[in-house]
Amino acid sequence: MAADTAVSASPEETLESLLREVEALKQKLEEERQKLNDVSLSSIAEKLEPITFPNLKLRRVLKGHQAKVLCSDWCPDKRHIVSSSQDGKVIIWDAFNATKESTISMPSTWVMACAYAPSGTLIAAGGLDNKVTVFPIGGDEEPGVRKRTVATHTSYISACLFPNTDRQLLTGSGDGTCALWDVESGQLLQSFQGHAADVMCLDLAPSEMGDTFASGSCDRSALVWDMRTGQPVQAFDTHLSDVNGVKYHPSGDSILTGCDDSVCRLFDLRADREVARYGKDSILFGVNSVEWSVSGRLVFAGYSDYTAGAWDAVRAARLCVLCGHEHRVARLQRSPDGTALATASWDATIRIWA
Amino acid sequence: MDMMVSTLQQQRAVTEQLRREAAIKRIPVSVAVSDIIKYINEHEQEDCLLVGFSSQKVNPFREKSSCTVL
Repeated sequence: MAADTAVSASPEETLESLLREVEALKQKLEEERQKLNDVSLSSIAEKLEPITFPNLKLRRVLKGHQAKVLCSDWCPDKRHIVSSSQDGKVIIWDAFNATKESTISMPSTWVMACAYAPSGTLIAAGGLDNKVTVFPIGGDEEPGVRKRTVATHTSYISACLFPNTDRQLLTGSGDGTCALWDVESGQLLQSFQGHAADVMCLDLAPSEMGDTFASGSCDRSALVWDMRTGQPVQAFDTHLSDVNGVKYHPSGDSILTGCDDSVCRLFDLRADREVARYGKDSILFGVNSVEWSVSGRLVFAGYSDYTAGAWDAVRAARLCVLCGHEHRVARLQRSPDGTALATASWDATIRIWA
Repeated sequence: MDMMVSTLQQQRAVTEQLRREAAIKRIPVSVAVSDIIKYINEHEQEDCLLVGFSSQKVNPFREKSSCTVL
Protein backbone atom coordinates (compact mmCIF):
# COMPACT_ATOMS: atom_id res chain seq x y z
CA MET A 1 0.00 0.00 0.00
CA ALA A 2 3.04 2.26 -0.21
CA ALA A 3 1.50 4.18 -3.06
CA ASP A 4 3.12 7.43 -2.15
CA THR A 5 6.53 6.04 -3.02
CA ALA A 6 5.52 5.08 -6.55
CA VAL A 7 6.43 8.49 -7.84
CA SER A 8 8.09 10.58 -5.20
CA ALA A 9 7.76 14.33 -5.26
CA SER A 10 10.63 15.91 -7.09
CA PRO A 11 11.48 19.57 -7.44
CA GLU A 12 11.18 19.26 -11.23
CA GLU A 13 7.48 18.43 -11.21
CA THR A 14 5.90 19.53 -14.45
CA LEU A 15 2.30 19.59 -15.52
CA GLU A 16 3.05 16.60 -17.76
CA SER A 17 4.67 14.56 -14.99
CA LEU A 18 1.82 15.37 -12.62
CA LEU A 19 -0.81 14.38 -15.20
CA ARG A 20 1.03 11.09 -15.80
CA GLU A 21 1.13 10.44 -12.06
CA VAL A 22 -2.59 11.19 -11.71
CA GLU A 23 -3.41 8.63 -14.39
CA ALA A 24 -1.15 6.04 -12.74
CA LEU A 25 -2.63 6.69 -9.31
CA LYS A 26 -6.20 6.47 -10.61
CA GLN A 27 -5.47 3.12 -12.20
CA LYS A 28 -3.77 1.85 -9.09
CA LEU A 29 -6.71 2.98 -6.93
CA GLU A 30 -9.18 1.14 -9.16
CA GLU A 31 -7.05 -2.03 -9.09
CA GLU A 32 -6.70 -1.93 -5.31
CA ARG A 33 -10.42 -1.39 -4.82
CA GLN A 34 -11.26 -4.20 -7.26
CA LYS A 35 -8.84 -6.67 -5.65
CA LEU A 36 -10.76 -6.58 -2.35
CA ASN A 37 -14.19 -6.83 -3.99
CA ASP A 38 -14.60 -10.51 -3.06
CA VAL A 39 -18.34 -10.73 -2.39
CA SER A 40 -21.53 -8.75 -3.02
CA LEU A 41 -23.82 -7.44 -0.30
CA SER A 42 -26.95 -9.05 -1.75
CA SER A 43 -25.24 -12.46 -2.05
CA ILE A 44 -25.15 -12.78 1.73
CA ALA A 45 -28.73 -11.58 2.20
CA GLU A 46 -29.91 -15.12 2.95
CA LYS A 47 -28.26 -14.78 6.35
CA LEU A 48 -31.06 -12.38 7.28
CA GLU A 49 -34.76 -12.92 7.81
CA PRO A 50 -36.84 -11.45 5.02
CA ILE A 51 -38.52 -8.20 5.98
CA THR A 52 -42.17 -8.41 6.96
CA PHE A 53 -42.79 -4.80 6.28
CA PRO A 54 -45.06 -3.03 8.76
CA ASN A 55 -47.12 -0.76 6.59
CA LEU A 56 -45.88 2.76 7.13
CA LYS A 57 -48.96 4.95 7.39
CA LEU A 58 -49.42 8.65 6.91
CA ARG A 59 -50.02 10.01 10.43
CA ARG A 60 -49.81 13.81 10.22
CA VAL A 61 -49.85 16.55 7.59
CA LEU A 62 -48.20 19.85 8.58
CA LYS A 63 -49.79 22.69 6.60
CA GLY A 64 -48.82 26.35 6.87
CA HIS A 65 -46.14 27.21 4.33
CA GLN A 66 -47.26 29.28 1.34
CA ALA A 67 -44.77 27.74 -1.11
CA LYS A 68 -42.28 24.89 -1.61
CA VAL A 69 -40.84 23.38 1.55
CA LEU A 70 -37.11 23.07 0.86
CA CYS A 71 -35.69 21.66 4.09
CA SER A 72 -36.71 20.31 7.48
CA ASP A 73 -34.98 19.04 10.61
CA TRP A 74 -36.18 17.15 13.70
CA CYS A 75 -35.57 18.64 17.12
CA PRO A 76 -33.57 16.37 19.46
CA ASP A 77 -36.75 16.29 21.65
CA LYS A 78 -38.28 13.98 18.96
CA ARG A 79 -41.42 16.11 18.94
CA HIS A 80 -40.70 19.39 17.14
CA ILE A 81 -39.69 19.98 13.54
CA VAL A 82 -38.23 23.09 11.93
CA SER A 83 -38.90 23.69 8.25
CA SER A 84 -37.80 26.30 5.73
CA SER A 85 -39.49 27.30 2.52
CA GLN A 86 -39.41 29.19 -0.75
CA ASP A 87 -41.89 31.57 0.92
CA GLY A 88 -39.06 33.04 3.02
CA LYS A 89 -40.38 31.64 6.28
CA VAL A 90 -39.01 29.27 8.88
CA ILE A 91 -41.72 27.44 10.85
CA ILE A 92 -41.41 25.51 14.09
CA TRP A 93 -43.98 22.72 14.37
CA ASP A 94 -45.27 20.52 17.12
CA ALA A 95 -45.35 17.32 15.10
CA PHE A 96 -47.44 15.42 17.69
CA ASN A 97 -50.36 17.85 17.35
CA ALA A 98 -49.58 18.95 13.78
CA THR A 99 -49.67 22.58 14.94
CA LYS A 100 -47.52 25.61 14.13
CA GLU A 101 -45.67 26.99 17.15
CA SER A 102 -43.92 29.94 15.56
CA THR A 103 -43.12 31.51 12.22
CA ILE A 104 -39.94 33.47 11.59
CA SER A 105 -39.45 35.72 8.54
CA MET A 106 -36.06 35.40 6.87
CA PRO A 107 -34.15 38.07 4.90
CA SER A 108 -34.91 36.42 1.52
CA THR A 109 -37.10 33.82 -0.15
CA TRP A 110 -35.78 30.32 -0.98
CA VAL A 111 -34.61 29.32 2.50
CA MET A 112 -32.86 26.13 1.37
CA ALA A 113 -31.34 24.94 4.64
CA CYS A 114 -32.41 24.80 8.29
CA ALA A 115 -31.17 22.92 11.33
CA TYR A 116 -31.74 22.46 15.05
CA ALA A 117 -28.80 22.75 17.46
CA PRO A 118 -28.17 19.72 19.75
CA SER A 119 -29.62 21.63 22.75
CA GLY A 120 -32.87 22.27 20.85
CA THR A 121 -32.68 25.97 21.82
CA LEU A 122 -31.03 27.38 18.66
CA ILE A 123 -32.03 27.24 15.02
CA ALA A 124 -29.93 28.00 11.93
CA ALA A 125 -31.37 28.79 8.50
CA GLY A 126 -30.25 30.28 5.21
CA GLY A 127 -30.52 30.07 1.44
CA LEU A 128 -30.48 32.50 -1.47
CA ASP A 129 -29.27 35.29 0.83
CA ASN A 130 -25.86 33.46 0.92
CA LYS A 131 -25.95 33.65 4.72
CA VAL A 132 -26.87 31.47 7.65
CA THR A 133 -28.82 33.21 10.39
CA VAL A 134 -28.87 31.69 13.87
CA PHE A 135 -31.53 32.53 16.45
CA PRO A 136 -32.54 31.27 19.88
CA ILE A 137 -35.99 29.73 20.41
CA GLY A 138 -38.02 28.71 23.40
CA GLY A 139 -37.28 31.88 25.43
CA ASP A 140 -39.74 34.55 26.50
CA GLU A 141 -39.23 36.85 23.55
CA GLU A 142 -40.42 36.26 20.00
CA PRO A 143 -38.03 34.00 18.13
CA GLY A 144 -36.16 35.98 15.53
CA VAL A 145 -35.65 39.04 17.71
CA ARG A 146 -32.11 38.02 18.54
CA LYS A 147 -31.14 36.92 15.03
CA ARG A 148 -27.47 36.81 14.21
CA THR A 149 -25.60 36.21 10.96
CA VAL A 150 -23.04 33.47 11.53
CA ALA A 151 -21.93 32.25 8.11
CA THR A 152 -21.43 34.04 4.78
CA HIS A 153 -20.68 32.37 1.45
CA THR A 154 -20.29 33.80 -2.07
CA SER A 155 -23.30 31.81 -3.32
CA TYR A 156 -26.48 30.22 -1.94
CA ILE A 157 -26.53 28.07 1.21
CA SER A 158 -27.60 24.50 0.38
CA ALA A 159 -27.05 22.79 3.74
CA CYS A 160 -26.19 23.53 7.35
CA LEU A 161 -25.80 21.56 10.58
CA PHE A 162 -24.46 21.91 14.10
CA PRO A 163 -21.58 19.41 14.56
CA ASN A 164 -22.61 17.93 17.96
CA THR A 165 -22.26 21.35 19.60
CA ASP A 166 -24.27 24.58 19.76
CA ARG A 167 -21.03 26.54 19.42
CA GLN A 168 -20.14 25.62 15.83
CA LEU A 169 -21.93 25.52 12.51
CA LEU A 170 -21.03 23.58 9.36
CA THR A 171 -22.30 24.94 6.04
CA GLY A 172 -22.38 23.82 2.40
CA SER A 173 -22.81 26.27 -0.44
CA GLY A 174 -23.37 26.78 -4.14
CA ASP A 175 -19.92 28.36 -4.17
CA GLY A 176 -18.51 24.81 -4.06
CA THR A 177 -17.11 25.01 -0.54
CA CYS A 178 -18.05 23.80 2.91
CA ALA A 179 -17.11 25.83 5.98
CA LEU A 180 -16.99 25.54 9.75
CA TRP A 181 -17.95 28.66 11.76
CA ASP A 182 -17.85 29.80 15.35
CA VAL A 183 -21.48 30.59 16.27
CA GLU A 184 -20.68 33.19 18.93
CA SER A 185 -18.24 35.31 16.91
CA GLY A 186 -19.24 34.38 13.36
CA GLN A 187 -15.58 33.66 12.67
CA LEU A 188 -14.56 31.21 9.94
CA LEU A 189 -12.74 28.30 11.62
CA GLN A 190 -12.03 26.09 8.62
CA SER A 191 -12.80 26.16 4.91
CA PHE A 192 -13.18 22.93 2.94
CA GLN A 193 -12.19 23.25 -0.71
CA GLY A 194 -12.21 20.25 -3.03
CA HIS A 195 -15.52 20.12 -4.88
CA ALA A 196 -15.52 21.42 -8.44
CA ALA A 197 -19.18 22.53 -8.36
CA ASP A 198 -22.07 23.42 -6.02
CA VAL A 199 -22.17 21.54 -2.70
CA MET A 200 -25.72 20.17 -2.32
CA CYS A 201 -25.73 18.23 0.96
CA LEU A 202 -23.84 17.49 4.16
CA ASP A 203 -23.89 14.86 6.88
CA LEU A 204 -21.91 14.48 10.05
CA ALA A 205 -20.32 11.16 11.05
CA PRO A 206 -21.90 9.54 14.14
CA SER A 207 -20.26 11.20 17.14
CA GLU A 208 -18.08 8.25 18.20
CA MET A 209 -16.43 8.24 14.77
CA GLY A 210 -14.51 11.46 15.36
CA ASP A 211 -14.38 14.65 13.41
CA THR A 212 -15.37 13.71 9.89
CA PHE A 213 -18.25 14.69 7.65
CA ALA A 214 -19.46 13.88 4.15
CA SER A 215 -20.61 16.19 1.36
CA GLY A 216 -22.28 15.66 -2.00
CA SER A 217 -21.92 17.95 -5.00
CA CYS A 218 -23.01 18.79 -8.53
CA ASP A 219 -19.50 17.68 -9.55
CA ARG A 220 -20.98 14.11 -9.29
CA SER A 221 -18.88 13.16 -6.30
CA ALA A 222 -19.22 12.63 -2.59
CA LEU A 223 -16.26 13.53 -0.38
CA VAL A 224 -15.41 12.53 3.18
CA TRP A 225 -13.57 15.29 5.06
CA ASP A 226 -11.30 15.53 8.07
CA MET A 227 -12.74 18.47 10.00
CA ARG A 228 -9.48 19.33 11.73
CA THR A 229 -7.14 19.40 8.72
CA GLY A 230 -9.74 20.67 6.23
CA GLN A 231 -8.62 17.99 3.74
CA PRO A 232 -10.80 15.49 1.90
CA VAL A 233 -9.81 11.96 2.95
CA GLN A 234 -11.93 9.90 0.57
CA ALA A 235 -13.70 10.55 -2.73
CA PHE A 236 -16.48 8.53 -4.40
CA ASP A 237 -17.20 9.39 -8.00
CA THR A 238 -19.34 6.66 -9.55
CA HIS A 239 -22.39 8.97 -9.76
CA LEU A 240 -23.80 9.96 -13.14
CA SER A 241 -25.25 13.28 -11.98
CA ASP A 242 -25.61 15.71 -9.05
CA VAL A 243 -25.31 14.18 -5.57
CA ASN A 244 -28.34 15.69 -3.79
CA GLY A 245 -28.35 13.72 -0.54
CA VAL A 246 -25.79 12.03 1.71
CA LYS A 247 -26.23 10.16 5.00
CA TYR A 248 -23.85 8.17 7.19
CA HIS A 249 -24.84 4.61 8.08
CA PRO A 250 -25.72 4.50 11.83
CA SER A 251 -22.51 2.48 12.41
CA GLY A 252 -20.47 5.23 10.75
CA ASP A 253 -18.72 2.69 8.49
CA SER A 254 -20.42 3.66 5.24
CA ILE A 255 -22.23 6.50 3.51
CA LEU A 256 -25.40 6.47 1.43
CA THR A 257 -25.87 8.95 -1.41
CA GLY A 258 -28.93 10.03 -3.38
CA CYS A 259 -28.26 11.14 -6.93
CA ASP A 260 -30.11 13.04 -9.64
CA ASP A 261 -29.57 9.93 -11.84
CA SER A 262 -32.39 8.28 -9.74
CA VAL A 263 -30.06 5.85 -7.94
CA CYS A 264 -28.97 5.65 -4.29
CA ARG A 265 -25.51 4.22 -3.69
CA LEU A 266 -23.84 2.70 -0.64
CA PHE A 267 -20.10 3.31 -0.21
CA ASP A 268 -18.22 1.41 2.46
CA LEU A 269 -15.53 3.65 3.91
CA ARG A 270 -13.21 0.87 5.04
CA ALA A 271 -13.43 -1.07 1.78
CA ASP A 272 -13.17 2.35 0.05
CA ARG A 273 -15.69 1.47 -2.66
CA GLU A 274 -19.30 1.27 -3.75
CA VAL A 275 -20.94 -1.87 -2.30
CA ALA A 276 -24.62 -1.50 -3.25
CA ARG A 277 -27.00 0.36 -5.54
CA TYR A 278 -30.69 1.05 -4.94
CA GLY A 279 -32.41 1.79 -8.22
CA LYS A 280 -34.79 0.41 -10.85
CA ASP A 281 -35.28 1.07 -14.55
CA SER A 282 -38.84 2.18 -13.78
CA ILE A 283 -37.61 5.01 -11.54
CA LEU A 284 -36.91 7.91 -13.85
CA PHE A 285 -36.67 10.89 -11.52
CA GLY A 286 -33.85 12.04 -9.31
CA VAL A 287 -33.29 11.34 -5.62
CA ASN A 288 -33.33 14.51 -3.49
CA SER A 289 -32.74 13.13 -0.02
CA VAL A 290 -31.77 9.84 1.67
CA GLU A 291 -32.13 8.35 5.14
CA TRP A 292 -31.52 5.14 7.16
CA SER A 293 -33.69 3.32 9.65
CA VAL A 294 -32.10 2.88 13.10
CA SER A 295 -30.63 -0.56 12.38
CA GLY A 296 -29.44 0.26 8.87
CA ARG A 297 -31.77 -2.37 7.37
CA LEU A 298 -34.02 0.15 5.61
CA VAL A 299 -33.00 2.85 3.19
CA PHE A 300 -35.45 5.69 2.49
CA ALA A 301 -35.26 7.94 -0.53
CA GLY A 302 -37.27 11.03 -1.51
CA TYR A 303 -37.81 11.48 -5.26
CA SER A 304 -38.78 14.18 -7.73
CA ASP A 305 -41.66 11.93 -8.92
CA TYR A 306 -43.60 13.02 -5.77
CA THR A 307 -42.96 9.72 -3.93
CA ALA A 308 -40.69 8.39 -1.23
CA GLY A 309 -39.44 4.81 -1.35
CA ALA A 310 -38.30 2.31 1.26
CA TRP A 311 -35.62 -0.21 0.27
CA ASP A 312 -34.18 -3.34 1.85
CA ALA A 313 -30.58 -2.14 2.25
CA VAL A 314 -29.16 -5.67 2.02
CA ARG A 315 -31.22 -7.19 -0.78
CA ALA A 316 -31.30 -3.86 -2.62
CA ALA A 317 -34.99 -4.43 -3.38
CA ARG A 318 -37.72 -1.83 -3.06
CA LEU A 319 -40.23 -2.63 -0.31
CA CYS A 320 -42.83 0.09 -0.66
CA VAL A 321 -43.66 3.47 -2.14
CA LEU A 322 -45.06 6.26 0.02
CA CYS A 323 -47.60 8.19 -2.04
CA GLY A 324 -49.48 11.32 -1.04
CA HIS A 325 -47.33 14.33 -1.83
CA GLU A 326 -48.43 16.42 -4.78
CA HIS A 327 -44.99 17.70 -5.74
CA ARG A 328 -41.38 16.56 -5.39
CA VAL A 329 -40.12 15.29 -2.04
CA ALA A 330 -37.27 17.65 -1.23
CA ARG A 331 -36.17 16.21 2.08
CA LEU A 332 -36.79 13.18 4.25
CA GLN A 333 -35.53 12.45 7.74
CA ARG A 334 -36.39 9.99 10.48
CA SER A 335 -37.07 11.21 14.00
CA PRO A 336 -34.08 10.92 16.38
CA ASP A 337 -35.53 7.81 18.09
CA GLY A 338 -36.41 6.23 14.77
CA THR A 339 -40.17 6.04 15.37
CA ALA A 340 -41.27 8.19 12.44
CA LEU A 341 -40.24 9.53 9.06
CA ALA A 342 -40.86 13.15 8.00
CA THR A 343 -41.06 14.13 4.33
CA ALA A 344 -40.93 17.76 3.21
CA SER A 345 -42.26 18.57 -0.22
CA TRP A 346 -42.61 21.25 -2.87
CA ASP A 347 -46.39 20.80 -2.37
CA ALA A 348 -45.93 23.11 0.67
CA THR A 349 -46.60 20.34 3.22
CA ILE A 350 -44.61 18.15 5.55
CA ARG A 351 -45.95 14.66 6.21
CA ILE A 352 -45.18 12.30 9.07
CA TRP A 353 -45.19 8.55 8.43
CA ALA A 354 -45.07 5.91 11.17
CA MET B 1 2.67 32.87 -16.81
CA ASP B 2 0.55 33.26 -13.67
CA MET B 3 -2.01 31.03 -15.35
CA MET B 4 0.67 28.37 -15.81
CA VAL B 5 1.71 28.54 -12.17
CA SER B 6 -1.84 28.29 -10.86
CA THR B 7 -2.61 25.35 -13.18
CA LEU B 8 0.51 23.61 -11.89
CA GLN B 9 -0.53 24.31 -8.30
CA GLN B 10 -4.03 22.98 -8.94
CA GLN B 11 -2.63 19.86 -10.58
CA ARG B 12 -0.28 19.38 -7.65
CA ALA B 13 -3.21 19.56 -5.23
CA VAL B 14 -5.13 16.96 -7.27
CA THR B 15 -2.08 14.68 -7.32
CA GLU B 16 -1.49 15.04 -3.59
CA GLN B 17 -5.15 14.19 -2.92
CA LEU B 18 -4.84 11.03 -5.04
CA ARG B 19 -1.58 10.06 -3.30
CA ARG B 20 -3.39 10.31 0.05
CA GLU B 21 -6.31 8.24 -1.24
CA ALA B 22 -3.98 5.61 -2.70
CA ALA B 23 -2.30 5.26 0.69
CA ILE B 24 -5.57 4.36 2.50
CA LYS B 25 -5.66 0.93 4.14
CA ARG B 26 -8.57 -1.10 2.78
CA ILE B 27 -10.47 -4.12 4.04
CA PRO B 28 -12.12 -6.79 1.86
CA VAL B 29 -15.78 -6.17 0.96
CA SER B 30 -16.70 -9.50 2.62
CA VAL B 31 -15.59 -8.13 6.00
CA ALA B 32 -17.35 -4.80 5.46
CA VAL B 33 -20.56 -6.54 4.44
CA SER B 34 -20.58 -8.96 7.36
CA ASP B 35 -20.25 -5.95 9.70
CA ILE B 36 -23.31 -4.37 8.06
CA ILE B 37 -25.27 -7.60 8.74
CA LYS B 38 -23.95 -7.74 12.31
CA TYR B 39 -25.07 -4.16 12.96
CA ILE B 40 -28.58 -4.98 11.71
CA ASN B 41 -28.80 -8.08 13.92
CA GLU B 42 -27.73 -6.08 16.97
CA HIS B 43 -30.14 -3.17 16.41
CA GLU B 44 -33.22 -4.50 14.61
CA GLN B 45 -35.29 -4.78 17.79
CA GLU B 46 -34.92 -1.00 18.36
CA ASP B 47 -35.89 -0.25 14.78
CA CYS B 48 -39.57 0.78 14.95
CA LEU B 49 -39.78 1.57 11.24
CA LEU B 50 -38.62 -2.01 10.56
CA VAL B 51 -40.36 -4.15 13.20
CA GLY B 52 -43.20 -1.83 14.22
CA PHE B 53 -44.25 -1.12 17.80
CA SER B 54 -44.81 -3.73 20.50
CA SER B 55 -48.12 -1.94 21.02
CA GLN B 56 -49.65 0.98 19.11
CA LYS B 57 -49.90 2.78 22.47
CA VAL B 58 -46.17 3.44 22.42
CA ASN B 59 -46.33 4.95 18.95
CA PRO B 60 -46.26 8.72 19.54
CA PHE B 61 -47.86 9.28 16.13
CA ARG B 62 -50.74 6.79 16.49
CA GLU B 63 -54.26 7.91 15.69
CA LYS B 64 -55.74 9.49 18.79
CA SER B 65 -58.89 7.38 18.63
CA SER B 66 -60.83 5.64 15.93
CA CYS B 67 -64.13 6.92 17.39
CA THR B 68 -65.69 9.98 15.81
CA VAL B 69 -68.66 12.03 16.95
CA LEU B 70 -71.29 12.03 14.27
